[in-house]
Amino acid sequence: MNNKVILLVEDNPDDEALTVRALKKNKILNEVVVARDGVQALDYLFGEGAHAGRNTKEMPQVVLLDLKLPKLDGLGVLRRLRADDRTRLLPVVILTSSNEEQVLLNGYGLGANSYVRKPVDFDAFVAASAQLGLYWLVLNEPPPRRV
Amino acid sequence: MCTRVISGSRSLPPSSRGRAIRWSVGFGRRLATVALACTLLASILDGQQSKPTEYQVKAIYLYNFGRFIDWFTALPAAGGDSFAVCVIGQDPFGRTLDSTLAGELIGQRKVVAKRIARPQDAASCQVLFISSSEDGRLKDILALLDKLKVLTVSDMPRFSERGGMIQFVLEKDKIRFEVNLTNTEHAGLNLSSELLKVAIAVKRNSQPGD
Amino acid sequence: MARTQDSTITKKLTRLNMLVSGAALLMACATFVTYDLFTFREAIVRNLSIQASVAGSNSVTALVFNDSHTAENTLSALKAAPNIVSAGIYSLDGQIFAAYRRDPHTQLPSFVSADQAETQMFKDGNVMVTRSIVFQGKPTGIVYVRSDLRTLSVQLRRYAIIAGVVLAASLGTALLLSSVFRRSITEPIVHLAEVARVVSRDKNYTIRATRPAGRDELSTLVESFNEMLIQIQERDGALQSARDQLEQRVDERTFQLATANKELESFSYSVSHDLRAPLRTIDGFSHALLEDCADGLDEAGRTHLNRIRAATQRMGLLIDDLLNLSRLSRTDMHRQSLDISTLASSIASDLRKAQPGRQIELRIEEGLKATADPGLLRVVLENLLSNAWKFTSKRASARIEFGMTPSNGTPAFFVRDDGAGFDPAYADRLFGAFQRLHAMTEFAGTGVGLATVQRIIHRHGGRIWAESAVDHGATFYFTLSEMVAQGAQQ
Repeated sequence: MNNKVILLVEDNPDDEALTVRALKKNKILNEVVVARDGVQALDYLFGEGAHAGRNTKEMPQVVLLDLKLPKLDGLGVLRRLRADDRTRLLPVVILTSSNEEQVLLNGYGLGANSYVRKPVDFDAFVAASAQLGLYWLVLNEPPPRRV
Repeated sequence: MCTRVISGSRSLPPSSRGRAIRWSVGFGRRLATVALACTLLASILDGQQSKPTEYQVKAIYLYNFGRFIDWFTALPAAGGDSFAVCVIGQDPFGRTLDSTLAGELIGQRKVVAKRIARPQDAASCQVLFISSSEDGRLKDILALLDKLKVLTVSDMPRFSERGGMIQFVLEKDKIRFEVNLTNTEHAGLNLSSELLKVAIAVKRNSQPGD
Repeated sequence: MARTQDSTITKKLTRLNMLVSGAALLMACATFVTYDLFTFREAIVRNLSIQASVAGSNSVTALVFNDSHTAENTLSALKAAPNIVSAGIYSLDGQIFAAYRRDPHTQLPSFVSADQAETQMFKDGNVMVTRSIVFQGKPTGIVYVRSDLRTLSVQLRRYAIIAGVVLAASLGTALLLSSVFRRSITEPIVHLAEVARVVSRDKNYTIRATRPAGRDELSTLVESFNEMLIQIQERDGALQSARDQLEQRVDERTFQLATANKELESFSYSVSHDLRAPLRTIDGFSHALLEDCADGLDEAGRTHLNRIRAATQRMGLLIDDLLNLSRLSRTDMHRQSLDISTLASSIASDLRKAQPGRQIELRIEEGLKATADPGLLRVVLENLLSNAWKFTSKRASARIEFGMTPSNGTPAFFVRDDGAGFDPAYADRLFGAFQRLHAMTEFAGTGVGLATVQRIIHRHGGRIWAESAVDHGATFYFTLSEMVAQGAQQ
């Protein structure tokens, strides 16, 4: 269980704090790596830049991806992920405020596995997180790693 | 004819107003009488006219002979203003000749009927009818007429053989005539061919004269 | 080409020519022939008269000297004239004197009176001439001659043949000449007709008709025709350019509209994303405060934080509703015929499933049809029926109806409930966004629902209005016609 890393790509520190808090409340104790923007996320995943030297064979269990990010936005990250063999099958859950139809289409179209809307009500958010955790970290069979 | 009868003796005397009525009443009666008289007269006259007598016809012929002769060269100036059709001897025509010739003209000359006693008087005649009563004197008469331009006509037998010019012949109830051309030419008379056409015979003497 | 065909106008002209020529010729021929025949008749009479007079004068002596035989001989000379049927010499008393008969059975008049002399008569195909015979000025008799008219018929026949030949020859010549000269008339007309036909058929207005030589009505016609074509072309051109301009303008507007729409879309996107984020923070950390600092918070503090949380969440809902409302104006509308009764029933059953405990009598009219966008109409009915559901929640049992009623000629659908109703005095605020006629504590709601419904109805070109009395329920009517809504609140 401790090997399962969750990559949270979120630029808003409040949202980041609340997300982590929600996960904790649900006893999800996996390591949460936070990337503040798209570039950082990619650096981490591909072991570049600040995260050079990281063992890229160890991918996170799931990526929680916000769409509105500075520099490279969420969809751009998604595109890069899906373009690269190493991250093509990586589970990505889009976690964002908007539920505009077009945005959903874009997300799914680019290969997101799931799309969850962040509610304003924190209790609802806690409940959603619980379900997320249960599903992606426990229930879901991750794609096999390539050795 | 009938008109003359009415206007004759039966005229009414003029009188007063009452005349008209009396006149119209009498008129009817008169009309009836007159009509009857007319019818009788007409039948009598018709009867007379439907059958002309022999000498009526001959008289007409006599007149007509004169029409078919070319007198312009022949008429003597001494003849005066008339065309004389004469009869010598016993006149068989009577008033018929006069009435037939009345009012007629030949060559613009008034045609008159004359009776002569002597052949010498024939000098003033154009046409001379020699009566059969003169049968015995014929030769003498003709001799005296010689050189005169007179057309001699008669109905005595063999007239044309004996020197006469036109002889009346009775054929089938019709009065016809013969012509002796030698004699007419001798007299210097030019007869129309039309006349010759209707002659029953046109003769010439085998020898001149007789 | 039209030249080789026998167009009707050529036929007409030819027929005209032939008729005119024929009529003129016929009239001329008829006149001449008639005149000639008359003079011929006169000649016949004259001849006959001469023959009669000759016969008569030759019969004078026969008449005078009563020689009918000679007269008959004279008359028999008439045998030489084969046309003489009979002849007779009459004496002055009118009785027949001599006769001639060509044919032994011929009849002669037995009596001819003197006043009949000098007459001629045409009767039964014969002509009879009676003359008096006068010799040396004296009437001597009457001659009568009767002749047939064979010479006349021969002449007639001759004339007929001549007339026939002349007519045929003349008509033939007329035909020939006409076919040479009518071209000058028919060619321009036929050409013009053909050009007009082609122009009409192909809608090609660039074609022009060739102008015939000369300055007559035909050349005027062709010129005018060409003029008209030019005008049509110009008008077409003007029309086309106007249409192009219009199209261009339409394209511009469409582009502007699309741009506006896109801008609005990105705006909504921004709004939904950016406005919600702080709300999440507020609510989240208020929650955190409540949890983590529970000891330091007294009752008042907790209440305040709860109120903060409530307000924040409400704001989130409002944002959602507003976004929905704006989205509705932008989506494409596809009208189709649908069964509105079935739709209402399905929505009603959903509501019942959500709250099975409620005692609601549902009366939905069957078989109603409407022509509308299915998705948008669903939103309308969902709003109206859930409103009805909501506002009857205070009653133990309620009745909700859906149906159609004819109103002023146009049929209107309605949703009726016998719930709380509203004060009709404030009816004008009913469809305003965020306007509410009830307190939050009585009935929940953002106040956007009816505004949404109204917007959808207006997009369909219909009307929506409501009737109510407090505590006596409410009825919401709407139409989906092409009528433009008047004075509606947006």
